[in-house]
Amino acid sequence: MRDIIVFSGSSNSALADRICNNLGLPKGKVELRKFANGETSVQFGDSVRDKDVYIVQSGSGHVNDNLIQLTIMISACKISSARRISVVCPLFFYSRQAESPSSKRGTPSLSGVNNPKNINLLDSVPPSPRSLSRNGSKPISSDPQPKELLNSLKSASNILSPSPSYRPTSSKLSQLPGLAHVQPRSLPTNNSGVTSSANYRSWIAQSGTLIANMLTSAGANQIITMDLHDPQFQGFFDIPVDNLYSKPLIQHYIVNYIPDYKDTVIVSPDAGGAKRATAIADALGLSFALIHKERRQKIVVDPNSSMPLSSDGITLNQNSSTPSINNPQPMKHSSSTTSINNGFPASGTVTPSSVPHLEKYVGTTMLVGDVQDKVCVLIDDLVDTSNTITRAAKLLKDQGCKYVYALITHGIFSGDAIKKLKNSAIDKIIVTNTVDQDAHVAEIGSDMMVILDVSRILSEAIRRINNGESVSMIYDHGW
Amino acid sequence: MSFQKQPNSIKILAGNSHPELAEAIARSLSLDVSNISAIEFSNRESAILLGESIRDEDVYIIQTGCGGQEKLNDYLMETLLMIHACKAASARKVTAVIPNFPYARQDRKDKSRVAITAKLMANLLTTAGCSHVITMDLHASQIQGFFSIPVDNLYAEPIVLQYIKETENYDNLMFVSPDAGGAKRVASLAEKLDTQFALIHKERAKANEVSRMVLVGDVTDKTCILIDDMADTCGTLCKASDLLLEKGAKDVVAIVTHGIFSGDAINKLNNSSLKSIVCTNSLPMSQFAELCSKLSIIDISPILGEAIRRLHNGESVSYLFSNAVM
Repeated sequence: MRDIIVFSGSSNSALADRICNNLGLPKGKVELRKFANGETSVQFGDSVRDKDVYIVQSGSGHVNDNLIQLTIMISACKISSARRISVVCPLFFYSRQAESPSSKRGTPSLSGVNNPKNINLLDSVPPSPRSLSRNGSKPISSDPQPKELLNSLKSASNILSPSPSYRPTSSKLSQLPGLAHVQPRSLPTNNSGVTSSANYRSWIAQSGTLIANMLTSAGANQIITMDLHDPQFQGFFDIPVDNLYSKPLIQHYIVNYIPDYKDTVIVSPDAGGAKRATAIADALGLSFALIHKERRQKIVVDPNSSMPLSSDGITLNQNSSTPSINNPQPMKHSSSTTSINNGFPASGTVTPSSVPHLEKYVGTTMLVGDVQDKVCVLIDDLVDTSNTITRAAKLLKDQGCKYVYALITHGIFSGDAIKKLKNSAIDKIIVTNTVDQDAHVAEIGSDMMVILDVSRILSEAIRRINNGESVSMIYDHGW
Repeated sequence: MSFQKQPNSIKILAGNSHPELAEAIARSLSLDVSNISAIEFSNRESAILLGESIRDEDVYIIQTGCGGQEKLNDYLMETLLMIHACKAASARKVTAVIPNFPYARQDRKDKSRVAITAKLMANLLTTAGCSHVITMDLHASQIQGFFSIPVDNLYAEPIVLQYIKETENYDNLMFVSPDAGGAKRVASLAEKLDTQFALIHKERAKANEVSRMVLVGDVTDKTCILIDDMADTCGTLCKASDLLLEKGAKDVVAIVTHGIFSGDAINKLNNSSLKSIVCTNSLPMSQFAELCSKLSIIDISPILGEAIRRLHNGESVSYLFSNAVM
């Protein structure tokens, strides 16, 4: 290998070690630390002059720290005369925000929100006929999570009172404390062009272009990533992006480690991942099922019975946290999406919010395909809060499936995801090491979680790029 | 026929680093803080929630470099995301108001194979879509040259002078710079109040560690005012104070613009020989004020508010360099 050096950021140094091992290289020396005030500092111990530099950093853990650290590393290489800087980013930063459905995002954690005006914001906006905005973001108000956020915000809303230690330097300032809780909706005093935000549909800005531009502007010449959640992300860059696939690894696992794999069913936990799952099912000649989430189901609660009914009279199996409906009418391609609970009315309780005669929009999930007495393999590229995949596994078990494998490329497992997975219907989790999984394995137990190593794919890609060979060959064969 | 640009209004956006300052600035302009905020997801990615139209408006994002080990980079990303979001929401002009500019001390290549991170920050802000930056007492004013967009570096000096005139008996004052780099700052203050100044020369072995100090000037029986642009771990300030008292100073007061106070700085200050320490609210100060009785705070929101007003109306900002705004 000529003129090549591999450095590791602090997000996933175990993966970088493996990559270096595979390439037969010593890992480049770099000192990564923080100053007392929290500023990141980077100093390379090995010369990078005229070298082909690869920096391994995954978009996991403390994402923003790792991203800023990565840009500083790139910049430091750049001004130290590196010939070419390639970023090896198995799990790409902010890769998920490029896609809009808020239901697929993680839960907003409260730490980030301390502006009391969010109360108005999250609570506001009567659902108007929705046009597909350019950003396509979902209305915040329809999501149950911000409601919780809202409640907690209300309790935390008095944190903005100015500190008494502010020196009142003028009469205007001495009125400070009295003005602290001015109603946010008080009339704006500048009257030019102020529009009321009452009819404004709040949205979440997408960050894809920013991330791409940050890396490019820092000096990156090339990006190597894996199983990009949103393939359009490649288009945000003006530099080459090599998107590698973990598919060969996953197929290898299915063929070699799942007993009687010919009888298994590949299941995609949502419509977005259908393409990925069908590709694997096709390649192995396996049958395929799909779990579909819908938000349009209208529910009417019958005032005379306490049974919640959907508009076409289907009983619901509703639990308080994740309302789900199993449609008893057979789907076109399936004979097994049968009715629930032996045809009896659902035993699920009516949630307190289901007021009689109130039409409500809830999330529903349904299974398309036959899983009765089968072994199911859930395929997903990215699992964060694990809500989707645990819900999917539960549905599969409800539909008579014997055993559920979950094959995941990027296991972020934020919040209490590991706990949820441990208590879920999933029997075995197979996840790659694009994100460092040591802590997760320790928590969930190594009999339930299996780690697949992607370092060989990445190191082969590095070798090929360094030699100027084609990379596309490893898309199918892995390494 | 040419189109006349419609007059637009100012929007004050608050990041999570210093919402109190944003509120205060908005109040000084008789505005409300806009309904746009930064949130964090459980996977620790940040995002910007826009709840209000800012189309064709002048947007001012109030965010400062603070947060320590945990949050500093989060706030930085928030700033970038917010700028980017404002561009996406068709704001006419996006100005970042960053009183304490992060990474300002990493402004040169002092060792091999390190980054000039201040330059990187300039690039990132510009890349995100920022069209103007307002900051205060930049650690090195050369950082302005890292930007290809206008940077207004405001000075805390006028308001500090005002503070000294109001609170100190300045017959017997002596300004002292704790390092050679701050000599200019001290000389300028001394000239304005017609007093003398002294210098402390220090030899720094490692970042955040002070080794040896030498005083240049006579401070006997003087009230010494230590002037610096920032107080981080406060090692320098405490040692300088000890040195001044040792050399016969009556008492020592420190006035700094940016009170970062990382690590156990507050403890050090409480146990130090400093009579008091004064800093601006360019960083959130409420948590420090509770812990340190020696700390008093100068409010800079009127200066920033006035700068924003002048910028928006196309008036000169240089008036603020020499006149205190209260």
